[in-house]
Amino acid sequence: MAAKDDYIVEMSDIDKSFPAVHAVDGGQFTLRRGEIHSLIGENGAGKSTMMKMLYGLYRPDGGTIKINGKVMEHLTPGISIGEGIGMVHQEFMLVNDLTVLENVILGFEPKKGVIINFEESRARINKYVETYHMDIQPDKRIDQISVGEAQRVEIIKTLYRGANVLILDEPTAVLTPQECTKFFEILQELRNDGKSIVFISHKLNEVMEISDRITVMRTGKYIATVNKEDTNTTELAKMMVGREVFLSIEKEKANIGAPILELKDIWTSGEKELSKIRGVSFDVRAGEIVGIAGVDGNGQSELIEAVAGLRKVEKGQVILDGQDITNDTPFEARKAGLTHIPEDRNLRGLNRALSIEENLVAWRFEEKPFATGINRNKKEIRKFAEDLIEKFDIRPTEPTVITQSLSGGNAQKIVVAREVDADGKLLIASQPSRGVDIGAIESIRKILNAVKKEGKGILLVSADLEEVLALSDRIVVMYEGRIMGIVDSEDATSDNVGLLMLGERLDEKEKEVS
Amino acid sequence: MNDVFNITLIYATIRSATPILFAALCATVTQQADILNIGTEGIMLTSAFVAVLTSVTTGSWLIAILMAIVSGIAIALIMAVANIRYNAHICAAGIAVNMFALAITKFGLQQFLGTAGTFTSPDIKAIPRIHIAALDGIPVLNDIFNNWCVTEVFGIVMVIVLWFLLFKTVWGLRVRCVGRLPMAAETAGINVRRMKYEVMIISGVLGGLAGAHLSLGYSQMFADNITNGRGFMGVAAMNFGGMNPLLVWVGTLIFGFIDSVGARLQAYGLPSQFILMLPYIFTIAILVLAMWRKGRMNEKAKSAL
Amino acid sequence: MAEKKNNPYITLLLTLLLSMVVGAIFMLVLGFKPFDAYVQLFKGAFVGKVNLGTTLQKFVPILLTGVGFAVASKVGCFNAGIEGELYLGAITAAWAGHYLPKMPAFLHILVCLVLAMIVGALWAAIPAILKVKWDVNEICVCILSTYVAKFFTSWLCNGPLSAKTGMPQTPAVHENIMLTQIMKPSQANTGLFIAFIVVAAVIWLLYRSTVGYKFLTVGLNSAHADYMGINSKKVVIQGMMLSGALGGIAGTIEVLGVYGYFLDNFSLNIANDGMLSSMIVWNDIRLVPLMAFFVASLKAGALSMERFAGVPRSIVDTITAIFIIFATMETLFHFLYKKKKTKEEKAAMTINAAPAGSEKGGKKDE
Repeated sequence: MAAKDDYIVEMSDIDKSFPAVHAVDGGQFTLRRGEIHSLIGENGAGKSTMMKMLYGLYRPDGGTIKINGKVMEHLTPGISIGEGIGMVHQEFMLVNDLTVLENVILGFEPKKGVIINFEESRARINKYVETYHMDIQPDKRIDQISVGEAQRVEIIKTLYRGANVLILDEPTAVLTPQECTKFFEILQELRNDGKSIVFISHKLNEVMEISDRITVMRTGKYIATVNKEDTNTTELAKMMVGREVFLSIEKEKANIGAPILELKDIWTSGEKELSKIRGVSFDVRAGEIVGIAGVDGNGQSELIEAVAGLRKVEKGQVILDGQDITNDTPFEARKAGLTHIPEDRNLRGLNRALSIEENLVAWRFEEKPFATGINRNKKEIRKFAEDLIEKFDIRPTEPTVITQSLSGGNAQKIVVAREVDADGKLLIASQPSRGVDIGAIESIRKILNAVKKEGKGILLVSADLEEVLALSDRIVVMYEGRIMGIVDSEDATSDNVGLLMLGERLDEKEKEVS
Repeated sequence: MNDVFNITLIYATIRSATPILFAALCATVTQQADILNIGTEGIMLTSAFVAVLTSVTTGSWLIAILMAIVSGIAIALIMAVANIRYNAHICAAGIAVNMFALAITKFGLQQFLGTAGTFTSPDIKAIPRIHIAALDGIPVLNDIFNNWCVTEVFGIVMVIVLWFLLFKTVWGLRVRCVGRLPMAAETAGINVRRMKYEVMIISGVLGGLAGAHLSLGYSQMFADNITNGRGFMGVAAMNFGGMNPLLVWVGTLIFGFIDSVGARLQAYGLPSQFILMLPYIFTIAILVLAMWRKGRMNEKAKSAL
Repeated sequence: MAEKKNNPYITLLLTLLLSMVVGAIFMLVLGFKPFDAYVQLFKGAFVGKVNLGTTLQKFVPILLTGVGFAVASKVGCFNAGIEGELYLGAITAAWAGHYLPKMPAFLHILVCLVLAMIVGALWAAIPAILKVKWDVNEICVCILSTYVAKFFTSWLCNGPLSAKTGMPQTPAVHENIMLTQIMKPSQANTGLFIAFIVVAAVIWLLYRSTVGYKFLTVGLNSAHADYMGINSKKVVIQGMMLSGALGGIAGTIEVLGVYGYFLDNFSLNIANDGMLSSMIVWNDIRLVPLMAFFVASLKAGALSMERFAGVPRSIVDTITAIFIIFATMETLFHFLYKKKKTKEEKAAMTINAAPAGSEKGGKKDE
């Protein structure tokens, strides 16, 4: 166990601003040797920013960082690595075209003259693979391996670089509940070997399970550091959000009607081998929310793109309210009644260089009254935007504000407002609460339920299993581009859905679970 | 057709290909770091001028090549500083240095060599040719291998050197990583900016060689815009070879072949403008072919069927 | 774009000063008198009817090709091939002006313009189609295809369309469709007004119409545009075609206003000057006329600088090239603003729209 005052990392009074936000304001963080220390907070609380400063990716505007008791003035990733800091980023830093081996040794390549010594690299990596029972395939290219394996590669990469401190940024977001258990065992082993671990998360159950100490941040500010024994999830939640949270909405069984969306044996291309869609069929009926559960990268994005006309359907049929929209253009799909909150609001959802009003009117700018012929009617657009801004409580309320300065929550509300107002037959909501604050999550979930009550079909995709469980009437579980099972919400638990997410059929559960 | 397709066509192909080969390698090394080197043309043009100027003033082709390399590096660094330090769009910076090269060589021609348009002189000390006496009189071998220009041999050496550098060394691995996912390099403690500068300097060296060979090896003269789009043909060859120096070399040989055949067709009474057009049309065609093939392969790799 | 683009006029002025200083040092080193040179440059551009007229005459094609380049940049393309479109437009106009049967002058001019626009647009569509279809770099295709266009027109005016006068040129167009000269004896002509009308129309199209909105939104984020139901590929092609059409107009005005026929290799990289006028002002169409006029005056003044100050004409091109290198550096003058960046400004940045002149800021609603 960790010695009380044997600090390997001390960060005090840290301050960091970006052009539009004050990301960290008076941040405090200490890490003892051999402890697992969770850093928790909502999206945008400044957790990742804190740790990126420790890793040398950002330079703090103020405050001091001590590593092993030494004050570090100008940290760069190179220096941090030299001091034994390793970080596994939320977005993996793995180069697709290169092999696993090349990725691991990058920056610390063993040499034989001027040539890379691959034999030695392999031997050194195998040591970690065996010690911590993390199997990886060194000669596969990154685009051929699964997300879970990619994460193991990332951890081995940090160990290979000689890390004593492992910073893990939301590591469980890409794992099924069962994989999580195994992952936590590895973390315990690492701790027992004397490594210190920073665990960044916002999932309180996990935090309570694995941590020794917990530091809470809120809107860039340090709130408190507590021992696990002295706290509980309710208290942590309150510290994180600053008020009591009631995310669970009473799920109402709405009147389920005829199928709105029917997918018949869909095959599409995929960005990775494991995300190619191979023969997916299910339907979404009027008045229900169908949630797609699955670990990120198992084909959910590809499936949604195919339905929305953004990716070619190579085989199969997409039918929207009786109309065949297979391989229709996005415009035709919209005309047929498809509305879509895309998973990446900064790329697809919004044109960040344009104003709120332009974004709100983005798909009907050619219609009357927003245009007469090719002449745009700015007045009508403004009026329309002001209405929606009020109705959906978007802030700031000025329609001419450029959207890139908006917070995640308000940016997402623009997308939601535009799509819900479009009044289609089907609403696809892909990662609707990714990267937004609790307040916005609450209102977005309310809106989804209201849309469902109006008798529309909703297809929900979320990497957050809790969200899928909380909102859906039926749950479709995807694994490696195929459907593993469809579960009614009454029967769904994080256990049985989690197993399906692992690629195990429910009937095989008994023999596989051990 | 024996006047067109005979044994001398082999050397003619090498001869026409070499200026483009250096340009293509110049674009290849930067592309590996995800820098589209539109400025290849400008680097090449400037160093072609500097090479002629130095050759005339010092009477040494070796110093001329060295100075050409120095000027190539200078132009590449202008682009590098603009892009890396001051956030210029790399294509804009490339177009800008191309215009700069066009202007400054025109000016230099007037100012230092006292002529406008074209400069030829017996004072230009050309890059020597390697004469192998043993091959004299041997019919086929003599036609193919004798009297190569030093830089033509060196071009092939550079292909292998660059291939080795990119795919076998630590430096190459890092460059390829910088080009594909710079954040991964950054988080591995690699100084991405520094890598990009290094790549640009090497590109300057190769572009400098391209220019020197063009004005002292391929021809012995300098004229306004003597490169005539060869830098862009180099970029096209780079695309054709998918950034792999060996395949890039094959690409440049195709260009060389077309160019040589075209030159020989002039005897058949085709209007000269069409002969002159030929390399450009084929370059576009090859570029399209390369990109089409890349797209197809990509599509195939992603397909679920 | 996290950084705020500061006042574009100040940045522009500073860049200009910096380039002139660099140019002056350059001249000093070579033993010229920079002050004399700049005075003669100014005189040669503006003092006297002929000089001013020459400036205006050179201004027209630079303006049109500059706006053309800027239009293509709005859809995210570098149209480095306007020179080719200008040549093809010019020879089309020369053909239509001579070979088509007589008709009322106004109509005939319009026919010349429209045909040249169509040819220019189609030529520009080639790189655009290759780009959207197979991701072929448009700069390469543009540059290479310009050589093709030049050789092709050269063949035409030496061969099938030759005036057979021994000169590489086409027969003269009908006398009555020549554009009226406005500042005799200079070659300035009413093409100036055609250019103004065209540029005004383009600005309206970009900033007030749905067509322009599509251009801007595709150029800023094509993934978003596609998702919103705009066919971004089609829009890119349209943008390039409009750009090419502007090159065609520039060629027509050169033929009908200045030469009266197509002359082989007449343009000497006019489109390059247009391109740099646009790039220097970060492709902001509303500033292009200003910069095009500036570049035109440099071109016009260069001759008298050579004659009266003894400085080679080509040094002007060198200085403009230095100018453009500095201008492409987005953050060159940021150190000036760093000190001033107070908390208020940071707050303001979250509220205010990006300033005008910022290409990526994309302010477009007024």
